[in-house]
Amino acid sequence: MNWQHLIWFAAVAVVCWLSGAVLAFGSSKRWPATVVSLCGSGVFFAFIIGMWISLERPPMRTMGETRLWYTFFLSLAGVAVYARWRYKWILSFSTLMSIVFICINLFKPEIHNKSLMPALQSVWFVPHVIVYMFAYAMMGAVTLFALYLWLRRPSRRPSDEEMGMCDNLIRIGWAFLSLGMIMGALWAKEAWGDFWSWDPKETWAAATWLSYLLYLHLRPRLRNDHHTAFALIIFSFLLLQMCWYGINYLPSAQGASVHVY
Amino acid sequence: MRCLLLFVVGIVLQCVVGDFDNGFLCYPWGLILAVNYLYLLILLHSQRSKWRWVNSLSDHYASVSALGSMVIMTIIFGLTRQDASTEGLVGLLGFSRMTSSWPFNLLLFYFTTTVGLAVVDDLHHWRQRGLAAMMSHVAVFVVLTCGMFGSADKMRVTVNAHLERPTVEGVDATGVSHTLPFAITLKEFVMEEYPPKLYLLDTKMESSSEDFLSVDNAKAEGNIDGWHLAVERSLDMAGRMPDSEEWIEMVHTGATPAVYLKATNSATGESYSGWVSCGSHIFEPSYLRLGERYAIAMPRRDAKRYLSRVDVEQMSGERKRFDIEVNHPARIGAWRIYQVGYDTARGRWSSVSVLECVKDGWYSAIHIALWLMLSAGVVMFVTAGGRSFAKGGKSASAPKKCDSQQKKTTL
Repeated sequence: MNWQHLIWFAAVAVVCWLSGAVLAFGSSKRWPATVVSLCGSGVFFAFIIGMWISLERPPMRTMGETRLWYTFFLSLAGVAVYARWRYKWILSFSTLMSIVFICINLFKPEIHNKSLMPALQSVWFVPHVIVYMFAYAMMGAVTLFALYLWLRRPSRRPSDEEMGMCDNLIRIGWAFLSLGMIMGALWAKEAWGDFWSWDPKETWAAATWLSYLLYLHLRPRLRNDHHTAFALIIFSFLLLQMCWYGINYLPSAQGASVHVY
Repeated sequence: MRCLLLFVVGIVLQCVVGDFDNGFLCYPWGLILAVNYLYLLILLHSQRSKWRWVNSLSDHYASVSALGSMVIMTIIFGLTRQDASTEGLVGLLGFSRMTSSWPFNLLLFYFTTTVGLAVVDDLHHWRQRGLAAMMSHVAVFVVLTCGMFGSADKMRVTVNAHLERPTVEGVDATGVSHTLPFAITLKEFVMEEYPPKLYLLDTKMESSSEDFLSVDNAKAEGNIDGWHLAVERSLDMAGRMPDSEEWIEMVHTGATPAVYLKATNSATGESYSGWVSCGSHIFEPSYLRLGERYAIAMPRRDAKRYLSRVDVEQMSGERKRFDIEVNHPARIGAWRIYQVGYDTARGRWSSVSVLECVKDGWYSAIHIALWLMLSAGVVMFVTAGGRSFAKGGKSASAPKKCDSQQKKTTL
């Protein structure tokens, strides 16, 4: 298995995800869209496992590899939300986002090296990355949802149920952000002797974590002010982007981070 | 308003006093102050009905303003290069040394205090609280408190351990030498490396190909940028005589991998053969020239893992042997010994191992708090979906009572 095979696995997965998105609107039952979308995720996961075997290490080292996991978890998050709350549009959104990330990986893979440096050979490596990617996917899904609610007809206010879904997704995403951050801290202590060293990546991870936490603390007082809630969701997601890949372009972080990928 | 005031006070202190020096928190003062701080928090909580300002420290606005101020400070932190510069406005305000700056430390202390009061309140009304929120509050408070009051107790020194030479000295980041409470003797340094890789160099553009051929077997072959490379002979440990181009098998200090390969241009058919090696501290590297412009080169091999077998002798005379490698430190009381490096010029033949000794007396408390936080994350994930902040939701329907009751909806 190599990166040349991505296009074939991705094509099958995208067909499944698109079919699931269509079925979500066309079928009165929940399971057809769920099963078809899960098949797409399964096909994509098969590619990840194949890469894992051929690389002889977890495919989590490079930016392109983390995008694989993001795509996979985004599709799973979409299916989970659909299956749990039956929001038909979520599958279309998650499919669109997944396609965007697949295209980025096809046109700008950012991959290659098979080596895994000793610091990455830790029991925390796989759960840390997977949990973070799942959190990013959840936050991506809720950001899209918030944008949809915010930009649709101004006269239509978001319902309590819709806002409740934003809250729940952020609560789940924040829980996973916390898990990823704590796993990273425990790993850092074993590898470098510090739980936290204010590396640029860590600083932006803290800013992201605090910003979503601010949302969770503000929401009880923002029941009628959905504009502030949506603005904070989008602002927090921008911080997340800075944490994920933005620091690679940030002058203040150049050469200062051990999180190089 | 309170956060803004703290920020302004911090800026003034930064300009007048200079950086925040945590030296006064050295053991036992850090511990004594931490215990008093905890006592003060409990006292404040018990007296909050009498003093309005105390009550305002634990209300919803305090937690939101503290969180908001920390978001802003961490963003400034992230946008500012942490190079300890004292020049310019950023240096003057201490933002280039954020962890030592007064504004950051004052706001962090305020944030910790609001979390601490929330913890006391949670414990006081624990039956009415969400489990995940309580666990998160406790964990965050313990981590921040230990981080603040234990910051001066942490010691980190670098030790260059030479083969069979006991070392009791370590050097900290400022270059000051410290005597360790134990002696470290390097008995053996072992390194595993990834297979050698061959890259195509463009000598005109001074660039290297992104693709490479990994020589993981004796007959490896592949294509790089229009050149077909076929390895005909591969030596894991090789050397060569000073006046010879040929590499021969050699089990000797400085032995290095070498491959004999044939490179054929897929378009023109031109072909070149020769030895390629990354060389070592003893042997010069070899390149295979492909005409005027290109060459095949082998960079130094990437380390797969490296391990230092050391003897550690304590003051009591007790001697223990440890295998230290990255992610697997040795533990001696409050000290941990980490593998951080080696003599990269010698690679696998290094006779020096760079170790870092870290003393952290607050390790256990932080470790337990982090596991509590980990558990809180799991609990939060499992229980998510049951509550909503929106109107009609379970928590939204609760009547507005005191601030402490409303806080149960926050996480």
